[in-house]
Amino acid sequence: MAIGTDRYASRADTLLFIACVGLSIAALSLPDEWRDPLAQGLRQSVLAPFLFLQRQTELLAAARARYDAVVAQRDSVALAATFLPELRSENARLRSLLGLSSHLGSGYVPAEILHQPEPTNPLSFVVSAGKREGVRPLSAVVSPEGLVGLVATVDEHTSVVLSWAHPEFRASAIASDGSVVGIAAPHGADGPRVWLLELQGVLYRQQVQAGTVIVTSGLGGVFPRGIPIGVVVGPAGEEKGWGRTYLVRPVVQPAALSHVMILTSPRAAGSDLRNAFTVPTDSALPSEAPPR
Amino acid sequence: MRRTDRYRYPIIMTLLVLMQFTVRSRLGGDRVAPDFLLLALLIYTIRAEPGRSAAAGFIVGLLRDALTPASFGAGALAHTIVGFMSSWSKAVFFAEHVFVRACVFFAGTWIRNLILLLVSGRLQSTQVAWELLVWSPLQGLSTALVGVVVLWFFRGWLSPPRRRIA
Repeated sequence: MAIGTDRYASRADTLLFIACVGLSIAALSLPDEWRDPLAQGLRQSVLAPFLFLQRQTELLAAARARYDAVVAQRDSVALAATFLPELRSENARLRSLLGLSSHLGSGYVPAEILHQPEPTNPLSFVVSAGKREGVRPLSAVVSPEGLVGLVATVDEHTSVVLSWAHPEFRASAIASDGSVVGIAAPHGADGPRVWLLELQGVLYRQQVQAGTVIVTSGLGGVFPRGIPIGVVVGPAGEEKGWGRTYLVRPVVQPAALSHVMILTSPRAAGSDLRNAFTVPTDSALPSEAPPR
Repeated sequence: MRRTDRYRYPIIMTLLVLMQFTVRSRLGGDRVAPDFLLLALLIYTIRAEPGRSAAAGFIVGLLRDALTPASFGAGALAHTIVGFMSSWSKAVFFAEHVFVRACVFFAGTWIRNLILLLVSGRLQSTQVAWELLVWSPLQGLSTALVGVVVLWFFRGWLSPPRRRIA
């Protein structure tokens, strides 16, 4: 006997399914000005207790990790000779973190990333700091290594961050020596060069050497000047003969992060944060010739 | 049937939802760790009718979309289809075997990610291939493994209600 759909799903079931599919498609085609308040409303109402729970769990885990670190450090004093290499690397890491904090001063908020299992999580994610902590839309999000992204929407205790990998991300960029200006955007191309950035709009007569460190330029007022974005890998192509595009390897991989810092207070005009970050070095890069 | 039986099923569902937001981040990487929320949906579909399963999938998906607004609506569509298909396939295959259910958990996770990637259109082909051939199967395996453990551990609580024969 042939198996028919109607035998296993009644007409009401089918209609309900079609209605849900229709609503999903409607949600997909919502404009941003409707979509963001809807998502924000859900986060602030139904999802609020769950996000609170996740935030507290992350805080607890961080506190536990810090406690373990303290205990480990105490124990390590007795075994310093045995664990000297580990102590040195941990020391270097703590120094970089402390160095960033002291240079940034008080204008930042630390936050935990509340990771979600969806494959699109590295593109945009929720962090555990919001309006109450002083976060505002378009605040820069950084890690000790460099730029992570920017805050898209802000809730009471959480915020949505668009990482540099998001297709809509753009940042005004400049070479660390100030020689080249361009726009940093996700490369987003097929092949082995995915998860790279590209430096667009470089003047044709300007050539960028591989290994050049790219930082934010401070133009536009969104990102302060001097946040490391990445290191130039090589040319990506030419734009109609009038400009050049270079591939940039980002200094930060969003999927690997657990904590970030959100810059909250506006910086003084002309301030440069370059010295606050770990300077990316790239000795493995080939010394290839620039495009001609 | 005891009076406490009616509370057992919601307790397990609540437990899975709480695990999603508490212990999940401690179980490995985001792309590999079991998806407890999807597992709760798939376990719900074992008992529910296809229409209700689709509606539950839509609600779960919409809530998840609020947490990853990069593709708002894609999660709702993916979970709606997976919920409906899971419930429908249960009726078709009439499978009570734990291995078949593990296969449903695995396939549900993989198909959810497939629809999510296709509909969101945010990732390029190489990334999609990595997601579908490496990360999604791993997540499906971990989800299926946890699903089997939950079904085995709570087998008395989660068995479908017996229908009265007139």
